[in-house]
Amino acid sequence: MTWIMIKKEAREAWRSRRFLILLIVFLIFGLMNPLMAKLTPEIMKMSFGKQFSVPAPTSLDSWTQFYKNNSQIGIYLLAIIFGGTISGEVNRGTLVNLVTKGLPRRTVIVSKWLVITAEWLLVALVSFLVTWGYTAYYFPDQKSPHLWLAFLPLLLFGCSLTALIVLASTLARNSYEGLFMVIGYTIVLYLLSLFTDFKHYNPLSLINHNLTFLTKAGSLTPYWPALLVTGVLGALALLVANLKFARKQL
Amino acid sequence: MSLLELHQAGKSFGSQQVLNNLEMAVPEGAIFGFVGENGAGKTTTMRLILGLEQLDHGTIQIAGRPVEYGGATTNQLTGYLPDVPAFYDYLTAAEYLRLCGQITGLPQGELDTRIKTMLTRVGLATGSRRIKGFSRGMRQRLGIAQALLNQPRLLICDEPTSALDPEGRNQFLELLASLRGQTTVLFSTHILADVERICDHVGILDQGRLQVCDTLTALKQQYAQPQLIWRFAQVDAANRFAQALAAQPNWGQVTTATQQVRLAYQGPAEPLIRRAWQLLLQMDLTPLAMEQVAPSLEQIFLKVVGQP
Repeated sequence: MTWIMIKKEAREAWRSRRFLILLIVFLIFGLMNPLMAKLTPEIMKMSFGKQFSVPAPTSLDSWTQFYKNNSQIGIYLLAIIFGGTISGEVNRGTLVNLVTKGLPRRTVIVSKWLVITAEWLLVALVSFLVTWGYTAYYFPDQKSPHLWLAFLPLLLFGCSLTALIVLASTLARNSYEGLFMVIGYTIVLYLLSLFTDFKHYNPLSLINHNLTFLTKAGSLTPYWPALLVTGVLGALALLVANLKFARKQL
Repeated sequence: MSLLELHQAGKSFGSQQVLNNLEMAVPEGAIFGFVGENGAGKTTTMRLILGLEQLDHGTIQIAGRPVEYGGATTNQLTGYLPDVPAFYDYLTAAEYLRLCGQITGLPQGELDTRIKTMLTRVGLATGSRRIKGFSRGMRQRLGIAQALLNQPRLLICDEPTSALDPEGRNQFLELLASLRGQTTVLFSTHILADVERICDHVGILDQGRLQVCDTLTALKQQYAQPQLIWRFAQVDAANRFAQALAAQPNWGQVTTATQQVRLAYQGPAEPLIRRAWQLLLQMDLTPLAMEQVAPSLEQIFLKVVGQP
């Protein structure tokens, strides 16, 4: 049953052009990250004069752009696009026919999370690979040795966030409420990040310290509690979404 | 034997009690007309049967299995056609039916055949046109196709003819009538003529209870009487004739409505008609028309819900 609904969700993502929009935006990120790093010194010189001294850009500047774009725009774009994934279906009444045919409600939640997560992983990977290729071309240095180690925490944070988006959309009456709930969640994480003692537990560290993970071997190890908390929060979000959706009026 | 049974079913929304210890049984194979005024609780009852609403108290069973709110077990026995069915606009009709069929667990080969058969039966092409471009009538026909696709034991239709044009309505009623004996149908509507046309059992819901529930024939015998109706040009003439009719012993019950006089009678009509004409001649009154009306569901309905 889950596979049937996964196919339905995937078809919806494609035909509604939702996936295409995500892909184009993340592809643009991928192309722009190294390009912006390359052009920034030239832009600065044009703006402030040739005497303005700017250090030569490196691969680190390109990856800085990558993680900034993903953590500041990418994840919110996910929340905007998928904020109404459950509430929209409930409001339109499209699930009534399927549920009254015997579709288990948990299948709706699980299939939606799986497809949204797959979309996130795919577009993030495309953006990563494009950034990697162009960065290697523009900046053939050895300053960014741990590419995957830095990237994996971002992927995990995204997977956990998609579970929270599904939960928010289950609790919300419309997509705006869903979006605000997700924004509220990230605000709480940002507030928690003010407490430095808590940083190794805060899921937000997985998208805020990627340059450290990128450059220093073993720098991710102290953050294993954050990895664990992120995974547990994602699983909890899915569990609560299932419980709430089982009692939700369609 | 009853396929669907509701015992002591109660449901309130806030302070408003919609269903009050509802007792209802739908025999297997029946086409059951479920009638009631707007807001009587017909849709709520259907949603309770489908597990889309939570019962406050009581039980609902389909084929002996209890219905659970949010559960899916009994839904595998049912087909549901809401008044305004909602679909995924990005799918074609065939793709939507395939999704529904896969959820109900129909085998692939059988599903292909059924999709073609159902689309032909409801008059929808198997082409690549997406549901987004469908008219309301086409959507309703697709709704019928999805409800019947898995050949459910219990088909629940919630005011299904309200959005259809006369031709579509006629076709739909014929389709429902053709299911007699194969599928048990619970058919809610406020168009009583539709119920009279196809239903063999009728339940009238009023004030949260099923006030009557029996075969249509039995209800007509119990509640309805044939009527004679005279129409006059003036109200004064109608009132004078009504008074004269009422004064006749054992003719029946007389009611008036503006220029109309109604006589509900029992026994053969001809002697009454002859005597009424004699009365009219004596009073020098000439009606515009006279009509003999057979017992109807409308009469039963009005009598049961307590309207004149």
